[in-house]
Amino acid sequence: MDNLQERLRHIRGSAAEKRHNARTVAALTSNPGCARRAVLDAAGVDKDRLARHVGFPAKFGQSQFAITRGNAFEAQVKANGYAELLRLLRETLGLEIREVGSTNLEDVGGNTGQEVRHARSRQKLTSAAADPNAAATFYDHPLLRLDVGGSRVYLEPDLVAFHHDGVFHVVEIKSFAVIDNQADARKVAAAATQSAVYVLALRRLLGDDKVAHEVVLVCPKDFSNQPVATKVDVRKQLIVLNHQLSRLTRIESLVEALPPTLTLDLAPDDDGKFSRPAAEVIAALGEIEARYAPGCLATCEMAFFCRQEASGCTATLGLSVREELGGVETVAEALGLADGILVEGDDQAEVAAMLRTTARIFGSVAA
Amino acid sequence: MVFRVTSAAEALERRIDELRTAVRKAVTAGERERAMALRGALRRAEREWEDALDELADQPAVLVPRQAGPLLPLREQVHQALTLLGSPAAPKLIIAVHEAFHVGEMVPARLTSLRRDEERSFRSSPHSRPYYLCSALTADLLAPARGLLAVSTWPMALRVIGPLSPRVDFLNSAIRLAEHLDRIPEPGPTARRLLWRFAANIPGGAASADAMTPTVVAQAAEAELKIHRDADRSHREAAAKRARQLPDVEQLFGNRLRSISATGT
Repeated sequence: MDNLQERLRHIRGSAAEKRHNARTVAALTSNPGCARRAVLDAAGVDKDRLARHVGFPAKFGQSQFAITRGNAFEAQVKANGYAELLRLLRETLGLEIREVGSTNLEDVGGNTGQEVRHARSRQKLTSAAADPNAAATFYDHPLLRLDVGGSRVYLEPDLVAFHHDGVFHVVEIKSFAVIDNQADARKVAAAATQSAVYVLALRRLLGDDKVAHEVVLVCPKDFSNQPVATKVDVRKQLIVLNHQLSRLTRIESLVEALPPTLTLDLAPDDDGKFSRPAAEVIAALGEIEARYAPGCLATCEMAFFCRQEASGCTATLGLSVREELGGVETVAEALGLADGILVEGDDQAEVAAMLRTTARIFGSVAA
Repeated sequence: MVFRVTSAAEALERRIDELRTAVRKAVTAGERERAMALRGALRRAEREWEDALDELADQPAVLVPRQAGPLLPLREQVHQALTLLGSPAAPKLIIAVHEAFHVGEMVPARLTSLRRDEERSFRSSPHSRPYYLCSALTADLLAPARGLLAVSTWPMALRVIGPLSPRVDFLNSAIRLAEHLDRIPEPGPTARRLLWRFAANIPGGAASADAMTPTVVAQAAEAELKIHRDADRSHREAAAKRARQLPDVEQLFGNRLRSISATGT
């Protein structure tokens, strides 16, 4: 493990480690075959900076405004002894009136180190599970840990609520609005997947029966700042996550396959400017195999770079197309087969026939 | 006594300034005739200004009810708000209480450094002030609780925060606010809005903002408080006992280095 950590540190270079969070884990498991993403995330590389340095800046991500608004809403909901949150959860989870205890796990006596915080969170949560009568009800910002493909990922849900029946619920506070009882489906889905990562981490720590498959989403209601709480069933997301996590190739074998001197260090000089030539970085990136799919554009900062790299490959056309064209790697090859210019290999017989038929149909329609 | 300066006198003051500058420039440029003319205009303006002032002196003084700018130093404003609340509170709540009941401005940005400034003041000259604005301590590690301010003259048990204390203090403050609203002659909408923020989050506190009455809010808060009070008190007293063993400065501002954790947690 130490040797692996050394290699990962070397790959990252001089920059500080970029922390994983539930979003990145969720994104990672949606494209488990991508070694590039797995290595970059495990090494804690700042993909946003990297993408910009090689000339393909990412175009998504939360705006500073959204982040600030999210923090403000969370602070409001938790203010004054969790006043608003308590009212909501009494209703949504059926808490009893005496269940008001809280423990803040954001730091340990001023110490915000990850290991220290995680140790304390683990201790508090396991003793709550073991002795519900002595437990608190709100665990604020607990630090959980999950093994993702051989590397340790620290995860921080907004809050975990402990119910008197001995079950924990993950509570996520989001600032997108629920208007007329409906919210942006994409955002709800993302929140559900993110929460499922937390549920998974908690279950690994405490056992499946101690953690509910329902999470509580707290959002602003309509156009006001009034919070509203909704229970969301994440069983489907949990199944997918579990499946994907088990398929992730162990990070050790991925790193071992790389040249030992490989590094993605951007070599910042005294002014903070990155002095490493982009071409060098691109060459280094090329050593780590990627698996681009159009879905990457919404979840990975390197997407534009990988797309350009993969242009001309059938993979860029999406998963279903790629599956249908199994074995035919490039668009040029597919077109060649369709037009009868290229002669197919043995394993391409079916695909080639399908392509030729399609070309004939399209040709006759166009003519 | 406050004089509201009329625009006439203000306009004259501006004109006088302009003329003075013009005179000086003319004199230094050697333009004697121009300088003389300007001097005449200046003397006329000054006479008019004296007349305007005499007129103001004859008017009755007008007291402005809410004045811009603080009347008290920040630390006293905070002390006032905390005394009303009766429990450790966060800056946002302190500001809300101040705006609801007290005169003068409270600048939020200055609150963030207040605790640090008070600690520095205490360290340089311990116990020299009648009170200090200090931290509340977490019961388990006796570290400064995030975002809470307390008053040093409060008993230690009030200045430690156990697992139930945030809710207990919220209910307690609701009662204090309700009682205060009942006492003062004209609470005003800001004060009522503040109480509503409490009432809305207490079972049976109020059906709506309009229907809210301070008496009912206090009763509802007391009903729930009864359930938590004993357990909270025993947590706090146990923690206070340990805290009293700390050096004075750490009793007020918390200890960050060592961890005196309670056994069995």
